[in-house]
Amino acid sequence: MSVFLASESDPIAHIVDKGVFGFNLFERPLMLSMITLVVCAIVLFFLMHRAAKSIATGPVAMGNRRFIPIGSFAALVEVVIVYLRNEMLIPVMGERLTKRYLSFLLSLFFFILALNIVGLIPFVDIQDALYGLMGKKFDIQDHETAAIFGGAATASISVTSGLALISFIVIQFQGFRELGVKGWLEHLCGGHELVHGPIFLWLVIPIVFFVEFFGLFVKPAALAIRLFANMVAGHTLLITLTMFGAMAIKAGLGTFAVGGITIVSGIGAILITFLEVFVAVLQAFIFMFLTAVFISLMAHEEGEEHSDHAIDDGHAASAMTAAH
Amino acid sequence: MLIAATDPLAFNLLPFITTIVVFTVVALALGMFVWPKILKGLEDRNAKILHEIESAEAARAAAASKQKEFEQKLAEALEQAAQMIREAKSEAVRMGDEIRAKSEADLAERARRAGEEIENARRAAIAELESHAATLAVSIAGRILKREINPADQKRMIEESVTGMSAMSGKRN
Repeated sequence: MSVFLASESDPIAHIVDKGVFGFNLFERPLMLSMITLVVCAIVLFFLMHRAAKSIATGPVAMGNRRFIPIGSFAALVEVVIVYLRNEMLIPVMGERLTKRYLSFLLSLFFFILALNIVGLIPFVDIQDALYGLMGKKFDIQDHETAAIFGGAATASISVTSGLALISFIVIQFQGFRELGVKGWLEHLCGGHELVHGPIFLWLVIPIVFFVEFFGLFVKPAALAIRLFANMVAGHTLLITLTMFGAMAIKAGLGTFAVGGITIVSGIGAILITFLEVFVAVLQAFIFMFLTAVFISLMAHEEGEEHSDHAIDDGHAASAMTAAH
Repeated sequence: MLIAATDPLAFNLLPFITTIVVFTVVALALGMFVWPKILKGLEDRNAKILHEIESAEAARAAAASKQKEFEQKLAEALEQAAQMIREAKSEAVRMGDEIRAKSEADLAERARRAGEEIENARRAAIAELESHAATLAVSIAGRILKREINPADQKRMIEESVTGMSAMSGKRN
């Protein structure tokens, strides 16, 4: 039993990113999340490539069946993409911006989703268990692991910060591209109406600039912290539930009590796992959707987008509320 | 900066950079080889569905037009048939009337001819009868007078008798 994670006394210790035993990169330990990122990226690419082949229009010889996706995975991917594009992104960003950023946003969503889902599968625990069964031949420290793949990469603030930085760059790229440097600065100062408005309103501009400038960094930081915190919280709860059995053994409880606690906590863990699957999808969606909202806000000064945003602000506000 | 610590908030530069690099690579790869295929497939299907719907609507409109045209032609044909029946009836009536009128005229002509023939026969019979009667009367008169009447007297007497009988028969008629 001791070989399993449930024997660990600190659930957080199980969640945090650890160095892969025996591997270094630039004189720093190679972190488990790095391998997971690479593996997830490769697997995601091949899965999506396969789905794309199924969804893409087939040869003419297939007749009308060439338009039908082959396989349930491809159908699922298609449903998700169509839903995200038609029901979420186009209402918020409009046709033009959706077309421009759809590729990036879909990549963001599916990449985070893949990382979240992989984090729910106990690859690390299985490898640790195998290592334990082999007799623990190496001197592995607490900040290291014998596993070479797995773990919740999105439960690492370093990973979510990286993703948030990418979102930040894309959001600001959109700002400069749509508004130009002058428009971007005007946006930071409260917009064209405020800057070119009555002189007495200029007193407000420094305050607006301060808020907007920090907002530039707070928005992606919130994205990173939200994803990280949700993943950490979910996994902590899950690990805590699975630890109850081992804690009962350590506490010296009887067989009946240990069995009861294990069964109850096991059922709870299974139920929480279902919830975590939902959270994994939801957090991937929220990260992607809020990025889309922030991108669309950078086109706010454009006349053609005004009508869209009049509606979409409500959409974005409800999404923000849901995210919090 | 903490490296490989057990603090979940510890920031590690290597995973941070790896995330950026890996995501950039995978986003580019997906953007080049995956999403365009999927989106094109979706667009193709949308276009196909749209085309099928438009074709179905066009076919339905054409069918409705054809049906309308057919109904119109059917109505025209029915009208033509009714017209033909009416004309045939009218023609039949006209021909019947014509035949009847012709028959009646023919009948009247025949009756007239028969009347004339009867009249001619009656007149001939009367003339013959008058001639015989005159001859007989002259003969009787000759016997009464016991003398021979020469042919010239006989002829004169017959003519006088016939004239007298004709005047009488003309009065009777």
